Amino acid sequence: MALGKYFSEIFAVGKSVGIGMGITMKYFLESLLLRKHTSTIQYPRERDVIPARHRGIHFLETEKCVMCWKCSDICPVDCIYIEGVRGADGVLQDGYRGSKATLSKFTVDYTVCIFCGLCEEPCPTQCIHLGPEYDYHATDRTMMEKNLLTDRVYTQEDEKFVRWAREENERLKAEKAKAHAAGKAAGDAKAAGDVKPAATAKTAPAAKTAPAAKTDSAAKAEGEAH
Amino acid sequence: MTPMSTFLLASLLGADAAPLQRGVATEQASIHIEGFLQRLMPQAFIPQGTWWAAGLSMLAACLAVFAFINVFALFAVWLERKVSAHMQCRLGPMEVGWHGVLQTIADGLKLTAKEDIVPRDVDRILYVLGPLVVFAGVFVRFVPLPFGEHLIASDLNIGLFFIAAVGSVEVLGVIMAGWSSNNKWTLFGTIRAATQMVSYEVPIGLAFIAVAVCAGTLSLVSIVEAQKFSVASWFCFRDPFLFVLCLIYAIASLAECKRAPFDLPEAESELVSGFHTEYSGIRFALFFLAEYAAMYLVSAVAVVAFFGGWYTGIPAIDGIGAEGSGGIAMALGLFIKASVLIGKSIGIVFVQMWVRWTLPRVRLDQMMHLCLKVLLPIALVCLVGSAFWRLAFGRTFLFILPPSWFGA
Repeated sequence: MALGKYFSEIFAVGKSVGIGMGITMKYFLESLLLRKHTSTIQYPRERDVIPARHRGIHFLETEKCVMCWKCSDICPVDCIYIEGVRGADGVLQDGYRGSKATLSKFTVDYTVCIFCGLCEEPCPTQCIHLGPEYDYHATDRTMMEKNLLTDRVYTQEDEKFVRWAREENERLKAEKAKAHAAGKAAGDAKAAGDVKPAATAKTAPAAKTAPAAKTDSAAKAEGEAH
Repeated sequence: MTPMSTFLLASLLGADAAPLQRGVATEQASIHIEGFLQRLMPQAFIPQGTWWAAGLSMLAACLAVFAFINVFALFAVWLERKVSAHMQCRLGPMEVGWHGVLQTIADGLKLTAKEDIVPRDVDRILYVLGPLVVFAGVFVRFVPLPFGEHLIASDLNIGLFFIAAVGSVEVLGVIMAGWSSNNKWTLFGTIRAATQMVSYEVPIGLAFIAVAVCAGTLSLVSIVEAQKFSVASWFCFRDPFLFVLCLIYAIASLAECKRAPFDLPEAESELVSGFHTEYSGIRFALFFLAEYAAMYLVSAVAVVAFFGGWYTGIPAIDGIGAEGSGGIAMALGLFIKASVLIGKSIGIVFVQMWVRWTLPRVRLDQMMHLCLKVLLPIALVCLVGSAFWRLAFGRTFLFILPPSWFGA
């Protein structure tokens, strides 16, 4: 009896070891040969998909800016510094002359900025956004003050992404409102016995396909930006 | 053949029994190393019988083995990192060289350039000697180990016994390192290492005895020659008892070279890094090198003792470079046989890594339970069973196969 228990224990240990080693070998082979499971990204060369609502380094559409200072005013840490002339004519050195403002400086101090995204809210022309750029480094404190007019952080590819992200945000917002309205309507209709819950779930996968374009373009843009 | 009782006793006593055989060992060593060197060099370079020729040939053999250990360690560390990475859904080193193959060279250079810290309150002499003794204990065991046909530092007639006995020197080095560090973690690691390595020598010794019974010799070259007929003549497949002993050897050898799941002496989550906590720089590198050298050693011994050494079991491949063939064919044969032996050993090293990244560490009492209550009785039964099997059935395990496959 004791001998039976002895051998059954050995058998149980051997079996569990076998199961465990089978699992690790399965993962090893699938990872090695099929490139499955691996979630590692070779960071500087390939980059992760940034969500549409990611809050990174500011992206300024300079031609739209009317120099109203609202972003600078609402900033909880006062990290946005704007200089220029509103409604003036003529071109400034290292500056930008828009249709309504001539900016000479639009600086964000990233040692101070908390990336709260409040500056986006009051902007009357919706020209300042928190963009997808997240790797930002400096060897000097002053280098963290970035002039959005002259220091090119974003490439054209990034601008495309920002535009896409904005549209995406709008779309998601609209969808949410629609779903909310639909839910309300369904709630009303429930009394009549007509339920349609599938309408909201269907739209979710479609939103996920768009960011795939970002990885290639971002990898390419990386070389140009730095 | 050495009587079994002496062998068992010597395995238990380890280093103490080694001097008994010293006279035999050194005599054999000088003869065989010279013979080995004469195969490599024209006779004009090495006049026979002079004392400096013997010294030179020993130095050459040492350097060759040392170079092999270093290259193997560089490869094995990379392999281990890649294996562990892919088993954990990572990529491992990818930057230095193709898929990071040169990463270990960079790490090794960094390690040698680091500061060699000797803490104030250590026992200086033992502290300095510790890593050297550990490395020497592993290094000496390479003496009777073949790397291929004719590629052997010295074909000792007590080869298996030598490997089992000298293994205890490594324990001595671990104890020296752990005790002299004057640190509680290292002391715990030392105690565990001593317990573990001394205990697990017993099943290993029993497995060796069974192989010696089957082969009728302790010389590793002769053991390999006894397995040259076919895959069925490999000792692993000779009889069911030897197969079980092969598994027991695999488990015990993991414990012997302190690999997971028996890495109690250097348990990172409990003892920082066990007996080598206080070591840094080149001294730590020596421990590291010794660990990977021991991994190769136990794997190569497993290949030699159980898996047919440098023979593949395919006559067309084994026949290349047989006696009487041309120089190029002979060189090719040497190369193929060395590749087969080293390739098989690396295969077993891979299995060791596979086990390491699968199983969690066992507890100390579980480790002792496994050794003394499971491996030891089963190994004893298998030893007796294997001996009786040979008496009863000759050398045949698979009765349907023709007897010529077993050299009968």
